Amino acid sequence: MGGQFLIRGLQYGIYILEGVVCVSLASHGRWRRLKGLCLYVTLLFGLDGVARSAVLNYFGWDSSQFRYFYWLTDVVLALGAFLLTCSFFRRACAREEKLWFFVRKVLVFVFVLVIAVSALVLTRHYSKLFTYFIIEFSQNLYFSCLILNTMLYVMIQQLAIDDDELGLLVCGMGVQFAGEAAFLALFTLTAGDSFARDLIPFLSPACTLGMLLTWIYAITKTTQAAPAREQRGRRASWVEAIAD
Amino acid sequence: MFVAALILIISTGLFGFYLQTVCQKILRRQFSQEFFQSIVNANRLEFLSVRKAVENLNSPVEYPRLTLTLKCDFLALTYLLKNAANINQRYTYEERLLIVYFKLIFASLITRHWLKLGESSAVLKLTKILEYFANVVGERVNTVRFGNLTASDYLLNL
Repeated sequence: MGGQFLIRGLQYGIYILEGVVCVSLASHGRWRRLKGLCLYVTLLFGLDGVARSAVLNYFGWDSSQFRYFYWLTDVVLALGAFLLTCSFFRRACAREEKLWFFVRKVLVFVFVLVIAVSALVLTRHYSKLFTYFIIEFSQNLYFSCLILNTMLYVMIQQLAIDDDELGLLVCGMGVQFAGEAAFLALFTLTAGDSFARDLIPFLSPACTLGMLLTWIYAITKTTQAAPAREQRGRRASWVEAIAD
Repeated sequence: MFVAALILIISTGLFGFYLQTVCQKILRRQFSQEFFQSIVNANRLEFLSVRKAVENLNSPVEYPRLTLTLKCDFLALTYLLKNAANINQRYTYEERLLIVYFKLIFASLITRHWLKLGESSAVLKLTKILEYFANVVGERVNTVRFGNLTASDYLLNL
């Protein structure tokens, strides 16, 4: 009873924080620069908060419709997380066009690799083609997002990019992905033991809460770094003014 | 099994790393001025002298005194964080995170002492957190004005 209450509390906390992220983006005027983040949070709220709850209420917890819908939306959210990571890479490489060309190829390669590795499961489970592929694909995509996110953090340090907002956004993503990956690995190691099964419903939303709180801090408390293109434009106008 | 264990170790390590980075990034916040000095003077806090002693390798610092000093300063500052010029009378979530971070580093300081490893890096981290708390308290107190004086100036002139 107490556990269910806590799970509900965490879930509603996530919905509220998703709303707070959107409001903060709008009120601080950062939604134009952080369009990817804005879209991802809206998607998270729309699918996880609204659509899943509606399907759950209509079909019930044990229905196959809810199970299919849950895993399908999970794939969409995993794809959203991957695209958000790509948008952070783009922002980190805003002043390094050559590096961005290379990073873009790596991102495409990683995505194709994830599809290929997930497709291997199909060769073993033809009978459960839909469910096995989708679960495997979303798990692999989340783990690749964790690796890419860590690479992005290392890249930010190496290029000495002075952008606290980006750094905190990346850290928030890292908390979510690392937490999720750790719990899934624990679940696999304990072979779905009751301890792990009881723990996951609490820890997974706790990680999402951590991510959203870090994002809110990044949006509300950090100074706004001027976009690279804008800076370059300003510099070019100075050069023109001096030349005149 | 091996892959799952590997993922568990890597992910747990990364989880801790990202949390620590978030804390470090919060601590890097720039304040409009150095508020901590007036709070340290007004409340006779000792963490600045502890920091000086640790940075100056020649001055010896007694371990029991050091831990007691840091703990007392922590208690004083967390009380002020909650009650001094704080309308809501509660911590913000970043303050809560830093309180947990302080406690974890404090535990690591004790472990390092037992294992006879270098304690100075942990002590410097703890003083950095206390400095941040003092800055936050100072910033809040600075917004409350008594005539032409700010609260911190008023306290100093008592």
